[in-house]
Amino acid sequence: MSTPNSSSDPRRPGKVHRYTRPSVGGLVDDPTAEYMNLFGMIFSMCGLMLKLKWCAWAAVYCAFISFANARSSDDTKQMLSSFMLSVSAVFMSYLQNPQPMMLPW
Amino acid sequence: VCRTKSANPHNAEIEDNDFAEFEDFEDDEHADTAQTDKAAPSPKPDHPKIVMAPEADIDPDQADDEDEDDDGLVEIEGDEFDHFQDDEEFEGFDREKSSKVKGQEKPPDLKITPVPAYLQNNWESFYLEMLMLAGLAVYFINFLAGKSKNNTLSTAWFNVHRSLLDEHFAFVGDDGTSQEMQSGVLVKESENIYTLWCSGRVCCEGMLVTLKLLKRQDLVSTLARMFRPASDQVIIKVMLESAEIDTFVMCLANKKVIGKLQKEMVDLNYFCPEKRKLDDRIPPTFQLLSEISEASTAVIDTKVITALNQFENLIEYIHISDQYCGPRIQDEAQPSKMPETTKIMMFCFNVPGKGQCSPKDMEAMKPLMMMVFHCLEKVRKIRLSREAKTKADKNRQRLAESYSKASHVQRSEAAQERREKKRRAEKERMMAEDDPDRQRKLEEKTLKKEQKKKQPKVKMMKIKAM
Repeated sequence: MSTPNSSSDPRRPGKVHRYTRPSVGGLVDDPTAEYMNLFGMIFSMCGLMLKLKWCAWAAVYCAFISFANARSSDDTKQMLSSFMLSVSAVFMSYLQNPQPMMLPW
Repeated sequence: VCRTKSANPHNAEIEDNDFAEFEDFEDDEHADTAQTDKAAPSPKPDHPKIVMAPEADIDPDQADDEDEDDDGLVEIEGDEFDHFQDDEEFEGFDREKSSKVKGQEKPPDLKITPVPAYLQNNWESFYLEMLMLAGLAVYFINFLAGKSKNNTLSTAWFNVHRSLLDEHFAFVGDDGTSQEMQSGVLVKESENIYTLWCSGRVCCEGMLVTLKLLKRQDLVSTLARMFRPASDQVIIKVMLESAEIDTFVMCLANKKVIGKLQKEMVDLNYFCPEKRKLDDRIPPTFQLLSEISEASTAVIDTKVITALNQFENLIEYIHISDQYCGPRIQDEAQPSKMPETTKIMMFCFNVPGKGQCSPKDMEAMKPLMMMVFHCLEKVRKIRLSREAKTKADKNRQRLAESYSKASHVQRSEAAQERREKKRRAEKERMMAEDDPDRQRKLEEKTLKKEQKKKQPKVKMMKIKAM
């Protein structure tokens, strides 16, 4: 056992380990980004298929929220595609009939 | 564009006395065309004499098909086409006649039918869209504000603790991606999570500090936090070297969190099923889960007790374990393979200020980091007594056995299934056989095989008996 010289310098430059980023979620695993991405996709599909404007707007919000909660390790392509899809949903639903939006209730 | 050709075939029905106009128009036209014929040969020699008026009433489509001579047709453009104004430009154009004809035309009286409200396309009716855009703008502004606030908080924490960490670690802040090890990098995992890796110290492989700040950049969680206040957290995870910690598992945690921890963490769930009595000098908000009480009393010495009293609401939990394998994965019913364990010390501290904190509050957290290093030195020196050691080893062995039993059961089930499938396949092949004698032969063969399988076992038994 090395002599306990706690008073002297505890640093050991020789015993250095590189930081290996934990692959699976690790300590803080936050699913909101994935959920919001999924909701965004569903809402924009509804917005496009059923021509519901409020769905398209909800898709834009979901894309924004998933962007805010995104981890830096996530790839930006996924983020960009959900943004594009939701914005196109809004655009198409207004192009199709330019009436102002009617809320579902 | 208004066409000077007086009786435009499209709105012929509006005026009742059409033909009156044509008579005088026709004579002039006739005169004109006659004139143009003399003056300049008309482009199409095969129509020397063109009678304009009668054809004017025929169906417009038909008119287009015929190669009608439109010399007389003059279009008066808007003012920017000045060159149309001077007369010499056009052959056979007579100014007085065209203005006279235009004057006579009565403006058609247009009735504006009342359009229902929802079809009117003015901007006021789009108030919902305005609302949506305003919501997006507010979200974006809050995103920028929250992002910068988190950034200042994390750099403030780093600056406060940098000197202390440099005293204890050879390298502070490696991001793990670049080739050679550099220091001073606070890795940004997401807008609210920053990690810092320090390494190069006696008795520990490294220390991972995770700044789990509140999601200030996300408006939704900011609103949610108004109902359920939460606070930023600093999670410090020290990876110990195997020789440096004896075999014990303990967790000192705040009452609110201890239940969740015991359910989630595999090692706590297995090694410390019941809560232990705590030293009465420790505030009641804390509870202890410990496998070997001798070890936990050694760790929680006077210095730790004073820290517990002083930072009662800052310390969330202290988890020291040599069998740490992370939280339990929900979907696996009974993991057959023994999860690989690491020896760790984990501390979770709350940043003071319950969410409304400022860089100044980070200064108050420095003593907590000193406590971490104190506990590290303490754990290094702990050596269990013999009976505690045997108790701990027994626990670990029982765990290993339970895992191997579980995997053995699973392996035998799998083998059973394979045998079952093979037998079923054989039976199907027999049933599928169409001519009876080959089917009988197959049956005999399987029967013989089964008997042979049973037969030898008995014989072998006899030999052993002798």
